Amino acid sequence: MIGAELKALRKSFGGSEVLKGIDLKIEPRQFTVLLGPSGCGKSTTLRLIAGLETASAGEIWIGNRNVSGLEPRERDVAMVFQNYALYPNMTVAQNIGFGLKARKLPKAEIDARVAEAARMLGITELLGRKPKQLSGGQQQRVAIGRAIVRKPNLFLFDEPLSNLDTKLRIDMRTELLRLHRELNATTIYVTHDQEEAMTMADRIIVMDDGRIAQIGPPEEIYHRPQNLMVAGFIGSPSMNFFQGTAAEAGVETPLGTVRVAPPLRVGTAVTLGVRPDDLYFPDSLDEAQTASTLDVTVEIVELLGARGIVTMRTHDRRIKGVFDERFLSRFEEGATLTLALAKDRLHLFNSESGERLA
Amino acid sequence: MARPILMKRLQRATVELVVAIAIAIVLFPFAWVLVTSLKPPHLVAEPAVWTFTPSFANWRDVLVRSDVPLNIVNSLIVSLSTVGLALLFGCPAAYSFSRFRTAVSARFAILAAEMMPPAILILPLFLIFYRLGLIDSKIGVVIAHLTFVVPVVTWFLIGFFDEVPRELEEQAMIDGYTQFQAFYKVVLPTIRPGIAAAGIFGFVLSWNDLFYALILTGGESRTLPVAIAGFWTFRGVDMGKMAVAILVAVVPILIISFFVQKHLIRGLGGGAVKY
Repeated sequence: MIGAELKALRKSFGGSEVLKGIDLKIEPRQFTVLLGPSGCGKSTTLRLIAGLETASAGEIWIGNRNVSGLEPRERDVAMVFQNYALYPNMTVAQNIGFGLKARKLPKAEIDARVAEAARMLGITELLGRKPKQLSGGQQQRVAIGRAIVRKPNLFLFDEPLSNLDTKLRIDMRTELLRLHRELNATTIYVTHDQEEAMTMADRIIVMDDGRIAQIGPPEEIYHRPQNLMVAGFIGSPSMNFFQGTAAEAGVETPLGTVRVAPPLRVGTAVTLGVRPDDLYFPDSLDEAQTASTLDVTVEIVELLGARGIVTMRTHDRRIKGVFDERFLSRFEEGATLTLALAKDRLHLFNSESGERLA
Repeated sequence: MARPILMKRLQRATVELVVAIAIAIVLFPFAWVLVTSLKPPHLVAEPAVWTFTPSFANWRDVLVRSDVPLNIVNSLIVSLSTVGLALLFGCPAAYSFSRFRTAVSARFAILAAEMMPPAILILPLFLIFYRLGLIDSKIGVVIAHLTFVVPVVTWFLIGFFDEVPRELEEQAMIDGYTQFQAFYKVVLPTIRPGIAAAGIFGFVLSWNDLFYALILTGGESRTLPVAIAGFWTFRGVDMGKMAVAILVAVVPILIISFFVQKHLIRGLGGGAVKY
C-alpha cells in the first residue's frame, strides 16, 4: 500500500480561492479524515486528489508518482460519493464490475472479484437487482463494493454516510472500519461530522477556510486543539469560551481570576476554553487542582440518557455543561450552585492570533 | 349545509361541461374526416349527410391504386433519417450545453433557430440544392428538416442531461473511462426514455412538414403531406381520398405520442424549467 502527498496545493474557482496552499502527507494504510465546516475546501481537496478538478498550483503525488496532470482513470483511485452515483441502468453486479471491465480483465476474473466483494459486504443476493430496487444502506454497500473490487491505491470517500439515517450511519461506520482493517488500504475520508471523524480516523486533518487548521490523531485534536477554530469546532456541545487578560496571579476574566498552570506574559489577551465535560463540583477537586470556581444559575436540563446537557447562566452569559445522570438531580431549573474549573483541563489561546498558548 | 354542497356540484358540473365541449371541439375534425373517408363517392361532397352505408372505395383507391404507399415510404425514410441524424448531433450538443456552463447564453440561442420563419431558409436551400442536383431528392428534404429538428431535439434533451447527476460521469471516469466513454456508456443509457421521446418528437415534426417538402420534392421523392395536399387539384378537392390520406398520416403519430406523452411533456418543459 502506498500513501499520498499534497504539495502547496491551491485551487481557485473564478476569482475566489478555495484552497490556499495545502501541504499534507497521507501515510500508507492510514484512515485519514478531512474534517471541517461546509465550504472549508475538504471536498475540493478530495476531488483534486481524484483528478476531478485541476489544481491552480501545487502538486499531487500518489506513491512515488506525480499525478498532478493525469486523468482520473490514470490515478488508480476509487471514490465513493455522497449520493452513491450508482449507474441506474446497470445491475448491482454490473455496477461493481464496471471498473474492472474498463481494465479489460477476463470475464471470469471480473465475476470472481465481484462475487468476492459482494460476499465481503453481504450483498450477494442483490447482485441481479437494479439500484432503484435497493434501500439507501444497500446502495451504499454497492458503492463501496465498486470501490474495493478495484483494489486501488487510494480509497476516497466524500461524505458517504450523510444520506443515511442515524442508526444505519452508525452501523455503516463500523462496517467501513471493519473493511478498512481487513483491506488495510490507504483511505481519505471527507466529512463534516466530527463524531464520524473522531470514531473512525487514525488521523484527522481539520480544515478551515482553505487551509489546514490542525493535523493529529483524534485524541490530540480533542484534548489539545491548536487554535480557537479547532477548539470551537470539535466537541459537542462546543467548548465554552471566556475572554480575559493574563496577569501575575493567572487570567483575569469576568469570572474572577482563574489560576492557570503555565506562566503567561502579563497583559496578553487570552481566551480561556473549557469543555462542557470539564465542569466539576468543588468537592470533587482538591485546592491545588482548582483553577477557579463559578456561580451558575441552571436554565435548562436536556437528558440524553446516561448523561445530560445543562445550560447555565453565569456572569451574564450562557455556558453548557455535560454531567453524568447521577448528578443531574442537583441541577433543578432555576437553582443556583457553584462549579469548579480544573487547572489541567483549561485551554488557553491567544485572543489575537487564535493560537494555543498552553 | 346543503347550499355549499349544491354550489360545489354546480361548479364541478360546469367544469365537466367545459371540458366535454373542449374535447368535442378537438375530436370533431377527426370524426368528420373518418366519416368522410367512409362515404361513398357520390356523398363525399355532402357534409350534412351522416347516415349512409359505409364504403371502402376511398381506402382501396388510396392504399392500392395511388402513389400514397410510395409517399408513406418516402416520409418514413425522410423522417427516420432526419431523426437519426438529429439525435446524432443533438445528443452531444445537448450534453455540452448541460455540462459546460460557459455556453449558458448559447443555450437560448438554440431557440432562435425555431423563431425563424422557414421562408427565410427556403430560397438559399433551394438554390444550393439546385446546384447540387438535390432538388426532388430525399437527401435535400432531410437536410432542410434538420434545420428545425436538430435545435428542437437539442433543446428537448438538455433538460434530461441536466437531471443526470454529474457524479455518474465522474464515477465512470474514476472507474477507468474517458469523459467521452462516460458520456456514451453511462449518461446516454440513463436518459434513454428522453432520447426516445426526443426522437418521436423530431419524427413528428419531420413527418408533418409540408412547407419544405412541397418546394423541394416533385415526383419520386414526394412525402405524405405533399401527397395529401395533392388531392386538392384544379378540378376540385378529392375529399374522400384526402380524408383517407390524412388518417393514414395522423393516426400512427397519435398512437405513438400517447405512449410517450409523459416524457414528451418532461422534455418540452425540462430545458426551460431549470432557468
